[in-house]
Amino acid sequence: MKAASIRTADKAPKKKKSKVAFREARTAYIFLIPAFVGLVVLTYMPLIAVGVLSFFKWKGAGTPVFTGISNYVNLFTVDPYFVDSIKATFYFSVLAVVGSMLYSLIVAILLNRKIPARGLFRAIFYLPYILPAVAVYIGWAWLYESNFGLFNYILSQLGLDKVNFIADPSLVVPSLALIAVWLSGNLIVIFLAGLQNVPRVYHEAAEIDGANSWQRFRHVTIPSMTPIIFYNLLMALVTNLQIVTPALALTGGGPGNASRFMTYLMYDYAFKKANFGYASAVSFVFFIIIAIFTGLVFASSQKWVYYEGGDGK
Amino acid sequence: MSRSASPAQGGGLYKSRRRRERITGATSLILLLLLSAAVIFPIWWIFRSSLMTNSEIYAWPPAFFPKEWLFSNYAKTMDYFPFWRYFRNTMIIIVPSVVFGTLTATICGYAFARLRFPGKKFFFSLCVGSMLLPTMVTLIPLYIMWTRGLGLSDSYLPLILPFLCGGGAFNIFLIRQFVSTIPRELDDAALIDGAGHLRILWHIIIPAIKPAMIVVALLLFIMLWNDLLQQIVYINSSEKFTIAIGLTQFKGSLGSDWVKIMCATCMSFLPGIAFYLIGQKHFVEGIVLTGMKN
Repeated sequence: MKAASIRTADKAPKKKKSKVAFREARTAYIFLIPAFVGLVVLTYMPLIAVGVLSFFKWKGAGTPVFTGISNYVNLFTVDPYFVDSIKATFYFSVLAVVGSMLYSLIVAILLNRKIPARGLFRAIFYLPYILPAVAVYIGWAWLYESNFGLFNYILSQLGLDKVNFIADPSLVVPSLALIAVWLSGNLIVIFLAGLQNVPRVYHEAAEIDGANSWQRFRHVTIPSMTPIIFYNLLMALVTNLQIVTPALALTGGGPGNASRFMTYLMYDYAFKKANFGYASAVSFVFFIIIAIFTGLVFASSQKWVYYEGGDGK
Repeated sequence: MSRSASPAQGGGLYKSRRRRERITGATSLILLLLLSAAVIFPIWWIFRSSLMTNSEIYAWPPAFFPKEWLFSNYAKTMDYFPFWRYFRNTMIIIVPSVVFGTLTATICGYAFARLRFPGKKFFFSLCVGSMLLPTMVTLIPLYIMWTRGLGLSDSYLPLILPFLCGGGAFNIFLIRQFVSTIPRELDDAALIDGAGHLRILWHIIIPAIKPAMIVVALLLFIMLWNDLLQQIVYINSSEKFTIAIGLTQFKGSLGSDWVKIMCATCMSFLPGIAFYLIGQKHFVEGIVLTGMKN
């Protein structure tokens, strides 16, 4: 929109400005060389390459053999892990995304109230996010330990039986998702920044109209926050669908296939079994899944995300 | 949210509202105290476990404080877990990556914010698209390119060199967003005085957007700090292990010597905490200032 208006503005003194405009464009292109190289060589070419490679059989040596769609056929019919890995990835992502969005929105709302030591609280909630993920998962493995772990102690205090958490196929994914929720301090900071940007006049207008605090939250805060909710939802989704660290550092995809997430499966096929063609098919299916999900979020956003008119502030 | 009522109008309405505000304020505070205790507690538990004897750590019911703070556990752990080497290796990756990423993101972000050029919109949507493209999708071709094509196996370069390319679309946006909040008059004046764009960037823009650059640097730091997949893929020899790989291997080989594992975990926590404490003020400020609009 901006570019269009600039172009029409440029039209009148075209001749005089053209030299300046040319120099400006030249500078821009030079400045953007890094980003351009990054986009072409490190992003879009590899994306095409992974698509192409997924139609080949290549074990890392010799010439790749074209096998058509057989990699995909094998994935969905023969492969003992693939369908389970999609399920595990979805299961984890749903729990982690819903959990971390709710948790961080609630904490952000609380932090936005008039409270003492807000800076300290904010630092505490942010802290998990800056710890290295590997150390976090390994540290939590001890809290989840079957016999002497903290969580089993808490369960025993509540009069419940001990459970195996990450050693139990039915509990490993929820247990890991809880860690992901704990790690979501970055969402809190972004939500909080958004809450502080909600124009106060809206609240005041609603209050004068007799809206109580729940109504103000529901009809003022939430609608003004939708762009931020949209952004955080998208980022949380893309991050959590890519989950791999706990499988690499802790579970090795187990117990059984319970935590064999798609990225881990790709890693296993490509870098442990050197089955690059087949692993590329996993990557490409994953790419399609991400594309569908982000497409859905974007498409739905027209229904529920409200942008203020114009450029905002 | 809570509007301070003027004391002159202390009518019944205001009084009841002020009381209500005080009640919601108190409940928020209590909730926050409970939640932040729940957030901190796992870290405390990991730390307290690292200072215990083996018999203490398996005691039932478990103790909340170690009887004696055995910092010697850390020295013993270092015999098996060469933390300083891992730390140095990690920094060899992180320092140049953060510097390159921040600088190139600044240059690109400036170009998007200030310069007019044909194809800007198209270029911009390419950037948006790349933001949503996960690392794992492009990993196999990139691995083949770096190791087979360029012969860089067991090297840090495949982990560092990509940061010469803007440090990711998100960071370019962050800088762009921030640059566009700076009044144009300054650089217009400099332009009229005959300054080039590089000089404007260096003398006017960079000093003004320092907080945003610090945010970008910290975000890059955290991203690299959290990475395990790419490091495992590109690095093979144990002398080159980073903290992330080293810790994974350590856990794998020790299995259930939990005291030592917790020592290694706490050591790995430390640098992040240190950097956070140094950069915290700028960090939160920067994110709030940037506003994360759009």
